[in-house]
Amino acid sequence: MKKIRFGFLGVAHFHADNYANAIKKIPDAEIVAVYDEDEKLGKEFSNNFKIEYYKDAAQLLKREDVDAVIITAENVKHHDYAVKAAEAGKHILCEKPIATTVEDADDMIKKAEKSGVKFQTCFVMRYHSASILVKNLINEGRFGKVLALIGTNKLNSSLPLLRRWFTDQKLSGGGAVMDHTVHLADLIRWYTNSEASEVYTEIGKNVNKNIDVEDNFLTTLLMENGAVGHIDGSWSYAAGLYTWGDVTMKVIGTDGVILLDAFKQNISYIGSDKPNDKLTWHYYGCDCDLEMIRSFIECIVEDKNPIASGIDGRQGVAITIASYESAKIGKPVKPK
Amino acid sequence: MTDKLGVAIVGYGFMGTTHLSAWRYINECEVKALIGRNIEKVREVSKKFGVEAYNNIDEVLKRKDIDIVDVCTPTSTHASYSITSMNAGKHVFLEKPIALTLKEADAIIEASIKNNVKLMVGHVLRFFPEYMKAKELIDRGMVGEPVIARTFRGGPIPEWSPWFLDKNQSGGVAIDLAIHDVDYLMWIFNSKVKRVYGVVRKLVHKDITAEDFALINLRFENNGIALVEASWALPKMHPFMMNFEVDGTNGMISFDNQSPVPVKLITSESISGFSPESLPWRPAVHPFPVDPFYRELKHFVECIKEDKTPMTDGEVARRSLEVCIAALKSAELNMPVNLPLKEG
Repeated sequence: MKKIRFGFLGVAHFHADNYANAIKKIPDAEIVAVYDEDEKLGKEFSNNFKIEYYKDAAQLLKREDVDAVIITAENVKHHDYAVKAAEAGKHILCEKPIATTVEDADDMIKKAEKSGVKFQTCFVMRYHSASILVKNLINEGRFGKVLALIGTNKLNSSLPLLRRWFTDQKLSGGGAVMDHTVHLADLIRWYTNSEASEVYTEIGKNVNKNIDVEDNFLTTLLMENGAVGHIDGSWSYAAGLYTWGDVTMKVIGTDGVILLDAFKQNISYIGSDKPNDKLTWHYYGCDCDLEMIRSFIECIVEDKNPIASGIDGRQGVAITIASYESAKIGKPVKPK
Repeated sequence: MTDKLGVAIVGYGFMGTTHLSAWRYINECEVKALIGRNIEKVREVSKKFGVEAYNNIDEVLKRKDIDIVDVCTPTSTHASYSITSMNAGKHVFLEKPIALTLKEADAIIEASIKNNVKLMVGHVLRFFPEYMKAKELIDRGMVGEPVIARTFRGGPIPEWSPWFLDKNQSGGVAIDLAIHDVDYLMWIFNSKVKRVYGVVRKLVHKDITAEDFALINLRFENNGIALVEASWALPKMHPFMMNFEVDGTNGMISFDNQSPVPVKLITSESISGFSPESLPWRPAVHPFPVDPFYRELKHFVECIKEDKTPMTDGEVARRSLEVCIAALKSAELNMPVNLPLKEG
């Protein structure tokens, strides 16, 4: 079988490194090229992974041997890169949120469809063995009908500061709401097989007063099928936390409850340099980045539809935008 | 012996007997009467504790040697028992929630002012060692300014006490259970709630009149936000859980009652965990923390003796009731509700 060759369009998101490392573990895949507007960042990435750097995205997209692109640029650039990739006939794996407006998301999906390329959204939780297990337990009817889903996808407050664009509204499109609504919104949609009919969001004052975007929020989703969902995707965990953050969900059914803590499989480590040497967590669970990219390759090779599709990405954007609107007007909002 | 304050307890259910046990360790007081509607059952309990049994509160209120009435009855009867008692000049310790309606709460508060007696509502969370410790750390500035919090309280449906399942008696899970955390959050945020958005439902149990599930989003006057989840919607095997997390500008604190379990009992049938506080009530044995019910009643007695205002007086208790009523209103309208609530 021919190898699937990847090019990166934008590596501003640190997930780019995770995905590149995952690809290195897949025998049938290879990374060959990287483009980033920021030459320093792009060259650093190209050196790390021994791949070619392009100063111009068009040049990368011209390469016949590039089958697919991974878009891990700043959020506002996703649309432009995805459209160009679609027009060049490259399959697209796009970081979440796929866009910062619903219109952009719709346009990206339309262009990908038109050129007949795959468009997959980086909703890694759809590829994580623990969250898949929950989906299977739900499908098997093990605890009845799903009635309520209360989730956290909270982040160590130091992490969004590692790359400046996360807290730059012009590049990110927003703070914690933009960054951390979509994973849980997607799990809630996936687990209920239903769409959100109403979104209500409270955005708090910031934990970090030095950034200009919001870093905490609470969102309630009323689903069309009557279930209720709740999302806390705040960047509010203290910087000293022993781990990066979490993805948890309590799923209450008519006949039982499931408690998911997806990144709970860790070995605790404590150093012995000084009496209060910090506890850290070392994860040994499912590598969902790897599973996601494997699945993407399978979709390309076997001409299948992605498990996390462009539409799923689009619905996440719609819920995110409705969240901002709700916080602004102080009322529940129906997503577009 | 004559300088001891006489205590009468109304209600012999879970809370009545818990208080009865706790009062016996408060040296300044003596429980003299237990009141309940079913005289046979009252006699059964009172015999065990060596107090007199009554099925009529009026007889007890005539007794000059009764100084305190401790009301542990279903919430719908709080107003009538407490107001009658205060009108008879007795100090009243009232189990939470203060009442089911703000009108009742106002009448209760008014009775305490008019009769110049002490009124305390049993928001016992403020006397739980873990919740006290968290409050202490927050007050010491260890999280900086509290910004966002989430609390959970719940477990299986409390079938052991059927009045909880009756909306007209308990007000449902939002009024009965969520109110604990609402009071606690206002305490630690040091701010009143200005806006409430709630989802309150009969989620799993459709055959009872009370709601069994509440998700309440709070916005404080200082713009902190919090999620309160209270649930009777969990399966029978689920332990009663309470946990909280507070993230601030300079740190975070969290607690989960499933983690710090110092005593575990494993038999061929089951695995059970115990904390000293969860064992049948026992006096403070160093170094175990003091029982929260003992501590709240002790605080009340101190307030009477030293003429101080109880930490959770009528006004404070009314505030959390107002938030919970707003949550029900919000759930009905699917709209956020601003506080203070307008009358009606």
